[in-house]
Amino acid sequence: MNKSNPVDGLLSRRSALKAGLIGTGWLGGVPGVLQQACAATSARDDKRILVVLELSGGNDGLNTLVPYGDDAYYRHRPKLGIRRQQLRVIDDHHGFSPGMAGFERLYKDGRMAVVHGCGYTQPSFSHFTSAAYWHTAMPNSGEEYGWIGRLADVIDPKLTPNFVVNIDETQTLAVRARNHLPVSFDDPNRFVRKGLYEERAVLDAAPVVQPQDSASLRFMRDVAVSARESSQIVREACARYKTPIDYGISPLDLPKIAALIAADLPTRLYYCAYRRNAFDTHVQQAELHQRLLTYASDAVSAFMRDLERIGRSKDVTLLVFSEFGRRVPENTSLGTDHGTANHMYVIGQPVRGGHYGTLPSLTKLDEGDNLIHTTDFRRVYATLIEGWLGADAQQVLRGRYEGFPMFG
Amino acid sequence: MRPLLLACLCWMLSFASPAFAMSPPDGLNDLRPIDESQWTSASAAHLLQRAGFGGRPDEIAALTRLGPREAVRRLVRWQSVPDNFVPFDESDLHDPGLEPFPASRPATTDAAKRDGQAIGVAAKPAGNNRRLQPVTNKFFYWLRASRLETHRLSYWWAQRMLVTPRPLQEKLALFWHGHFATSEEKVRDYRKMLRQNMLFREKGNGSFRELMIGVAQDPAMLSFLDAGVNVKGAPNENFAREIMEMFTLGVGQYSEHDIREAARAFTGWNAKDLTFTIDAARHDDGIKRLLGREGPLDGIDVIDTLLAQPAAGEFIAGKLYMYFVRQEVSPALRTELGSRLRASGYDIADLLETIFMSRDFYSQATVASRVRSPVELVVATYRQAGLTQVPGVPDFNEVTDSLGQKLFYPPTVAGWAQGRSWITPGLLIARSNFAYDLVFPDINFIPPDRYPSADFKIRDFSDKLALGFDVTTASKLEGTDMSSMSNQMADRDEEFNTRLASFRGWQMALERVKPIPRAPARLELTRLVLGDGCRTAGDAVDALLRRFVSAPVAPATRARLTEFLQQELGTPDLAAARSYLDEPLRQTLHLILSLPEYQLG
Repeated sequence: MNKSNPVDGLLSRRSALKAGLIGTGWLGGVPGVLQQACAATSARDDKRILVVLELSGGNDGLNTLVPYGDDAYYRHRPKLGIRRQQLRVIDDHHGFSPGMAGFERLYKDGRMAVVHGCGYTQPSFSHFTSAAYWHTAMPNSGEEYGWIGRLADVIDPKLTPNFVVNIDETQTLAVRARNHLPVSFDDPNRFVRKGLYEERAVLDAAPVVQPQDSASLRFMRDVAVSARESSQIVREACARYKTPIDYGISPLDLPKIAALIAADLPTRLYYCAYRRNAFDTHVQQAELHQRLLTYASDAVSAFMRDLERIGRSKDVTLLVFSEFGRRVPENTSLGTDHGTANHMYVIGQPVRGGHYGTLPSLTKLDEGDNLIHTTDFRRVYATLIEGWLGADAQQVLRGRYEGFPMFG
Repeated sequence: MRPLLLACLCWMLSFASPAFAMSPPDGLNDLRPIDESQWTSASAAHLLQRAGFGGRPDEIAALTRLGPREAVRRLVRWQSVPDNFVPFDESDLHDPGLEPFPASRPATTDAAKRDGQAIGVAAKPAGNNRRLQPVTNKFFYWLRASRLETHRLSYWWAQRMLVTPRPLQEKLALFWHGHFATSEEKVRDYRKMLRQNMLFREKGNGSFRELMIGVAQDPAMLSFLDAGVNVKGAPNENFAREIMEMFTLGVGQYSEHDIREAARAFTGWNAKDLTFTIDAARHDDGIKRLLGREGPLDGIDVIDTLLAQPAAGEFIAGKLYMYFVRQEVSPALRTELGSRLRASGYDIADLLETIFMSRDFYSQATVASRVRSPVELVVATYRQAGLTQVPGVPDFNEVTDSLGQKLFYPPTVAGWAQGRSWITPGLLIARSNFAYDLVFPDINFIPPDRYPSADFKIRDFSDKLALGFDVTTASKLEGTDMSSMSNQMADRDEEFNTRLASFRGWQMALERVKPIPRAPARLELTRLVLGDGCRTAGDAVDALLRRFVSAPVAPATRARLTEFLQQELGTPDLAAARSYLDEPLRQTLHLILSLPEYQLG
């Protein structure tokens, strides 16, 4: 029991060492060496896939992976704090929320990297602004393209069709690219253009191009071309796919992604979300939040088992993040308000599991009672770009961010 | 030299197209009113497109005759136009026991365990008989009933959009619905959604201050942004943040401190069922400091303080401009519109009159440049097709949902993102499929308000109960390994079974919620085309393009369509093909509505 000794950072260091890890941020990784290592090990493996799952609404990280070993947590969360007995304890300091059996398993199997204290300076408390910062990886810049979109442009300059897939109602900024046109759809069954036999020739004909066409029209045409290229492939892939794996009550879009991976699409970047600000839990959050986490954990762990089933688990890494965490002290409505730093989870068979980064202090908060971030979230992006996909992170992120040795 | 030449060429070419002929290229960003002499039927059509849901030929002709000043006036100041408003025909669903409705199913069953009853239903006396099942049933009944009734509500609203003589009233209500985005998903009470919708209709073109106060005191909004828990000594900042970020100032125009102070000022504001109340005992009347103002501020003071900021005028005017005119607004124009709005005491009608009269509004960069939102697209399509009733097939809610804009269910507090975000490969295909389902209604259509078509679990459960399975066995899902926590936990409580409750909730809701009439659209394209005086296949294509499409369509596209129709008719002569004209016209219309051009307005 370490409740009497909540020395910030120390425990994460110990946990990290216990998990057999060295070279986490504060032990001083050397970017140059890391880059070389990545270049050597990845060999630009064309099958490597990155899936991003965004928990929209600002997930309460403190009640997701609970630092039960820190008394300060219970002082800040007298009502919402989850008691140790209820937690799914993973080490002498942390335990997952009660319904997260899936995450617990993944962590204990060494397939989950937890990165602590992820955030950025001068945090925004607006969902939409902060999400845009995470999506572009360029806070306060007004950047018009997303980091996944820029990544696609860098690693696939020949613009392979269906290289980026975004499953959602609308397209996320994260995948917007200068050159790539992401395949965005929601329901694969509806991702097919209806039309009679006689109509097909006209319906499927390439749109007529005129020099005076407006920018809106040109945009519309480009999307139409992409739709034509992808819809049949996606629909057939999803129709063929059947799984015995139980994704739980809310499978998110992960079974669809599993279907596309199973069908061997050339897609290397997938993006989906727990949608509609679901994690915005200002009021009476305990039951609701645990339920959301159970669903997310069920879906993620089922996805991992499904990948194993289809023999692709070595090819896929999943990133889970949220646009911010919640305020450290609970509010008086049994909920939590918009906060700052949060965990990021990198999950998959290729991942070297364990803790990364430094635990943010629960006693030294900023003036708004928020965590002071310890890890720039772009270090995790850099890790995935370089360590997993073997691309030049600096080119994508337009800045130098030291990665973590999570791969290889 | 060469780029200049090319630019000139493009400029000249653009004049070759009739839709642009009215647009003086110099009108961009010019707020001065257009000349009477520049007012044409194309201007009137553009105005009806933006300030309404598109104009039919007779409406365009009537508006053209009025001249710009009177045309804009009639749209903007709709109170002078005779109305045909039909109130919403409610099903009888609610009872006092349901108020206040608990936050969740666990909150409901916990209350029933504690108090022996909840939401107006008693727990059974102890025994091995699922004692909390009736309470749980009623909980799911209300969720289902309110949802189904909300679907009727959106049918009612769509119908109003279709036939109203005051189109801007509804177009603006749709704007405010997106601006003050409130979702039934969280409110879970169609009655509150209806009230809010009426508020937008009644105050939409008045003073923004009045509207903002109305929204801040609106039961749906109070529920949506957690007003009930914002009390003295325990402020909840959800509403305070959104009123600044989303409703009045925009991000970056306030501090976190301002949010906390504003939250205090709104403490005690709440709703008792459908009535706004201020609980004095829960209101913090201490001194607050907000954006340079100090005093024992209350909610109204906060609103006045916010609206005194230049940023508020610019934010609201800019957002209205982006909705009605163009997605890009120059900073100078935004400032100008903002100061005009503020100077007028936030008179929305004044601002809209300025906008709709401006040369900028009729400029080349504006006309047919806007991606139409799903609801606009669907309603405008029905209007141009000459319908007077929103079809029951396809289902309006399913269609608009698949296109990304389901009424009363905005995705987040930010509302719908507008502009290009309406278009992805998936959404573009969905738009084309809507057109198909309109001209060839699905014969396999199953009404989603009568049959849980999306929920195979309920159907499966129902079948198993009828075969005498016990509830626990019937709840099991076949075909999966049932290894997920959520499925394992779903029915762990012996005092109730949630799947049974969901099933019973469906049944009870179906008994009470009135059905949506399910007639498909009756299209009379033959009459429409012949009525326009068309003689040839080419005429028919032109008539349909004129009626449905605002953006210029390339001659080659027109030629393709004409060739198609002629091929299907076996003759270019419509009179000869009169007896079988209908289906080829339907196909042609489907092709037209699938054009990328059709998405613009």
